[in-house]
Amino acid sequence: MKPGIDDQSKPQTMIQEKYTKRYQNLKVAEALSNNHLYPFACNELSSIIDLGYSQLPKDLKAFIFRDCLSAFRLLPEMNTSAAVSAANLLVKSVESAFPKQKKNLAIVEFKQAKVALKRRTKSHDEHIDLPSLPQDIFVHIFSFLDLYSLLSSSQVSRSWNQATSEGSLWRSLFDLHFSHKVLIHIYPGIDWREAFKNEYILYKSSKMLRSGRGYCSYCDSVVWHDNLRCPKKQCRLKSGKKPLDLMLTHEVVNYLLGTTSSSDESDSEDEAVRGLWAYPTLQ
Amino acid sequence: MSESDMAIIKPEMMKSYIWLETSDGSIQQVEQEVAMFCPFICHQVLQKGAGSSKNNAISLPQKVNPAMLSLIFDYCRFHQLPGRSNKERKVYDEKFMRMDTKRLCELTSAADSLQLKPLVDLTSRALARIIEGKTPEEIREIFHLPDDLTEEEKLEPLKNTMDDPRIRLLNRLYAKKRKELKEREKLKSIEVEEHVDERSVDDLLSFINGRDHKVVNTSKSKKKNKKRKEHKNGTCKVSNKDSHNLHSKQRSVDETSSSLGGVSNLHNIEDDIFSRKAEFEDGYIDDEIDPALKEMLDREVEDFARRLNSSWVLSVGQERQPVHFSINGNGDTRRLTGPAARHK
Repeated sequence: MKPGIDDQSKPQTMIQEKYTKRYQNLKVAEALSNNHLYPFACNELSSIIDLGYSQLPKDLKAFIFRDCLSAFRLLPEMNTSAAVSAANLLVKSVESAFPKQKKNLAIVEFKQAKVALKRRTKSHDEHIDLPSLPQDIFVHIFSFLDLYSLLSSSQVSRSWNQATSEGSLWRSLFDLHFSHKVLIHIYPGIDWREAFKNEYILYKSSKMLRSGRGYCSYCDSVVWHDNLRCPKKQCRLKSGKKPLDLMLTHEVVNYLLGTTSSSDESDSEDEAVRGLWAYPTLQ
Repeated sequence: MSESDMAIIKPEMMKSYIWLETSDGSIQQVEQEVAMFCPFICHQVLQKGAGSSKNNAISLPQKVNPAMLSLIFDYCRFHQLPGRSNKERKVYDEKFMRMDTKRLCELTSAADSLQLKPLVDLTSRALARIIEGKTPEEIREIFHLPDDLTEEEKLEPLKNTMDDPRIRLLNRLYAKKRKELKEREKLKSIEVEEHVDERSVDDLLSFINGRDHKVVNTSKSKKKNKKRKEHKNGTCKVSNKDSHNLHSKQRSVDETSSSLGGVSNLHNIEDDIFSRKAEFEDGYIDDEIDPALKEMLDREVEDFARRLNSSWVLSVGQERQPVHFSINGNGDTRRLTGPAARHK
């Protein structure tokens, strides 16, 4: 059942409220203060604005405007390039879609943020080397990282690279991502990193690296996943080892607005196949 | 009146202190219950009876400087009180962790040497949160780390040293065969070097001979070029795909080798085998090329494989055939057609 078709039969105001409610449930604003999720949240905002800001109900417009402002206000605290590019994207969407007054307010906010950001990077002085930590501490730290960050860390320096090759890290990642659908023969000396890589390629799991969102069928909502699980405790207990279905930005936006746009990325065939029909509509 | 005197007189009323000496030589005393929260200090006191007086101060590990020590004891002082609720502790921890990266690292190091596991956990999580979602360059900036990996190393998994004697034997066999092949071809190519335009078997042989080194080089330079391009994209997804493409030829070899008693990361071997396999494959694309030699090699390899007690067929001369192998020889194959399907 295509999302959005049911809405046409209902009165206009009820539809508006539904969008707003859905948006609030998405909790985009909460993610903005999270270093890791900030780019994802900004991308969602950009996509929503691009898709049809003018057609949105009035209160939803207000929410989006408020969240854009907070996104820009929080930008200086995010010192990643991903955050900066996400914010740039957002400001472009704002420039093209927002009405004049709101646009100016948002752009002022953005410019201030950029200035603050510049000030931060300038004051970043070269202080002495940080103490080197023992290898097993590194492994312990890496055990808390998601796949993307672990791969990033492996490219940082030689010692970090060695630390990331630790089998236990990849074993738990394998367990997290694949154990619910793969039976693997474990022999002594198994290279968990290779095993993980094989499964990753097999299942074309590139989503893992590019998604902060997942759909939880137990609470029937789109959430920011916490290590591939629903942040709610009850759902985690119910789902056991099964991770969430990961969702990309455009899928989230489609879910929110009941549209069927696809992503610009080249491997959107994957997404098109799964489509929106995997996620039941909000009635 | 010294502390220890008073302790003897009224033990219930006086707090007992433990004496500690930090790496810079300064000596201080800390309340017993606070200090004993650290396993390291606890052990020292209980097992060696140290710390009871100034002269008998416990010397702390090198990584613990006075500033960190006071931080750690703040932490201990708060948490050693049993009356705190979990929420209180959580709130305290959150506030406690707000410090710059350098101090976090120092604190982690100090806590680790004092074996204070809960604090190590806390700081590790905080550091992980800092690392999360950042690109390698950004991480390097934050932690002031040198960029000392080569382009190749960044995109390839680490090469582990292979100690398995079976793999060494395999390597030796391949080396032997390779030498033999080279010698035979050298003999033939000496005759044919003038006939460059002839499209004959001999020509192809000398071509192979000349390509022996080139095959390895071109494939390696292709590797490097690919990697340079891919690396610019900077996405790990791409690098995974890349290694997959490059290693797809090695895949059948990988898996068969892994079945040989579970040897993991075989990139030393794989590189060797890859270049040899490429040579074999290129050599055998055309079946006119010395089938007798190919047969012999095939047979020897098979014998060797059987000797290694695993059923393993290396299909040389054909495009990566799906390799089925059984582990433990009792017919249990590895997770079905996954690897095989990928080849198709």
